[in-house]
Amino acid sequence: MIDLLPHIINGLTLGLLFALIALGFTLIVGVMEVINLAHGSLFAIGAYFALTVIAGSWFAGTPFGAWWLSLPLGLRYVLALALGPALAGLAGMLLELCLRPTYGKPPLYGLLLTFGAALVIEELIRLVWGTGEQNLALPQAINGAFLLNGMIFSTYRFFAAGFSIAAIIAVWLFLERTSAGAVIKAGAHDSEMVRALGYDLARLRLVVFGFGAALAGLAGVVMVPIWGLRPHVGVDIVIPAFLIIVIGGVGSFWGAVIAALLVGLAIGITGAYAAAWSTMSMYLLLIAILGFRSRGLLGRKSALEN
Amino acid sequence: MISLSDIPARPSAWITPPMIVLALLLLAAPDLLPAVGLYQYLGIEIAIWIGFALGFNLLFGYTGLHSFGHGAYLGIGAYAFGLFQHHVAVSLWGGLLAAVLAAGVAGALVGAFLSHRRGIYYALLTIGFGQIFWFLAMKLHRVTGGEDGLLGIPRPPLTLGPWQLALTDNRTLFYFAAALLMIVVVLCWRLANSPFGRVLQAIRQHETRARFVGYEVWRFKWAVFTLSAMLAGLAGSLLAMAQQSAYPDVMSLHQSGLIVMMVLVGGGLVSFWGPVLGVVFYFVARDVLGGLTETWLLWYGLIFMAMVMLRPEGLAGMLHGLLRRRPALKPTTAPAPATEAA
Repeated sequence: MIDLLPHIINGLTLGLLFALIALGFTLIVGVMEVINLAHGSLFAIGAYFALTVIAGSWFAGTPFGAWWLSLPLGLRYVLALALGPALAGLAGMLLELCLRPTYGKPPLYGLLLTFGAALVIEELIRLVWGTGEQNLALPQAINGAFLLNGMIFSTYRFFAAGFSIAAIIAVWLFLERTSAGAVIKAGAHDSEMVRALGYDLARLRLVVFGFGAALAGLAGVVMVPIWGLRPHVGVDIVIPAFLIIVIGGVGSFWGAVIAALLVGLAIGITGAYAAAWSTMSMYLLLIAILGFRSRGLLGRKSALEN
Repeated sequence: MISLSDIPARPSAWITPPMIVLALLLLAAPDLLPAVGLYQYLGIEIAIWIGFALGFNLLFGYTGLHSFGHGAYLGIGAYAFGLFQHHVAVSLWGGLLAAVLAAGVAGALVGAFLSHRRGIYYALLTIGFGQIFWFLAMKLHRVTGGEDGLLGIPRPPLTLGPWQLALTDNRTLFYFAAALLMIVVVLCWRLANSPFGRVLQAIRQHETRARFVGYEVWRFKWAVFTLSAMLAGLAGSLLAMAQQSAYPDVMSLHQSGLIVMMVLVGGGLVSFWGPVLGVVFYFVARDVLGGLTETWLLWYGLIFMAMVMLRPEGLAGMLHGLLRRRPALKPTTAPAPATEAA
């Protein structure tokens, strides 16, 4: 008999991280009805930029680089946590500008454009950061492992999971309790009406895309120490994110969170019995759930079905 | 924007002028390619991928069903061909049949599951199934060889009754692939312009309306998915012969996305011949740009993005626009018809 508890805990922490990625994705899908296949690439941009901030590699050998590396690792990590998502957000806004000619056409064009963008970003990452596998240096406080009930747990996993919970709650409060969040939700519901009420729809889309991209970047910085950092990471991560929003129901906030936890659990529990096959479980979960509920767990009718 | 149904055709014709042009180009290719500085093997690759792309476009361009996991059926065909040679008999026709049937069965099963779905859910499920097949190819080490691939696939000789021809030479294999390709071209053309093809286009234009007219839409969606999977399997078996091995990487999402990109860049959404242009453009770009720079995919990606933004009707659409605008240059004719994208 295998002790399942550590696998369930691992699965849940993984699920919380997936939720963080899927949130930005579902926000963009909800407001813009664009399936952003470059979402994983924005995740990668955030993570790679965090790598540069922490290691200071662009300034290596200069006095500035030396001064930078003399700063405490904790401070550099916090800076990376802020600057990585900011840069991913800017990249997302740039992508939104490229997407403008596709509005009003079938959703296929947005999907294809972002697929091309994912290819381009991956190649750019290879050019700038090299092709090898890299790692983020972590501050002592959140690194290492601890013992609980005679089992070893990685401290960082718990830090990352806690961070994700905080971010999920913050995004939910932002959407539910602020007027800007109300406009975003209204934009997802009926963008024509939002425009008729005098809101600048183009700016709303730019901001939402930037915000969603920044969430992807944030997820990148937090998740990469667990998931590993390689140029291909964007494609590796966009598939689970995409799966999650479809399982959860396109455009549904809590659907995405629940689906992310389910996918995390499925991967964790399969990992206990057949580690090599653990990734397969999420596809089987997708097929099982979509077999019964064609719009996912909490999905409603959307323009993307046409 | 122009669409597939707008392009005039002689729907009843078995052979059309572009087919003759293609056949002549294929005949000349083994001598033409080295003459412009490319190598002969490229011709085999292009012929195989054109066949794959044409079958794929029946689904993608004609029916408007966006499969992002079609590389899986190419891979299944390649593995089926190889496994048939290894475990059953070294036979060309048997291998081809096994590949088409295996891909067809896989396509029929997946298609049965998919055909009640629409839009983004359809696209996502194709990704999901594509990833499952890719994953199986990677993990079933004992059957497929895993990441190392299935190696040592022979090129069995071509036998027609008493007559036998060895396909070990790349030039001979190319002509065999080209001959099969011409059959696929004629088949796809006839199918696209048959009543069946008309229903497919009606589904693309308005699925609900097509159902209200009285067609059992899901059966057509299922049939065209199975058919395009079978054609992908045929292409896969040729690929296995060309490479003398089969690898899981043709089944990855990356490769499945590339075929979508090729079809779109070529103009598969507006023309039967779009996929042909797209495949040729991709492979020539790969070899020419790839010779100049390591990061050729970056440039291909940028070209693709610019195309989606500015000219989503692709190369074929641009060509079509040029041909239609020409009469307007004469002062006697009416102003040029608008062909700009809406």
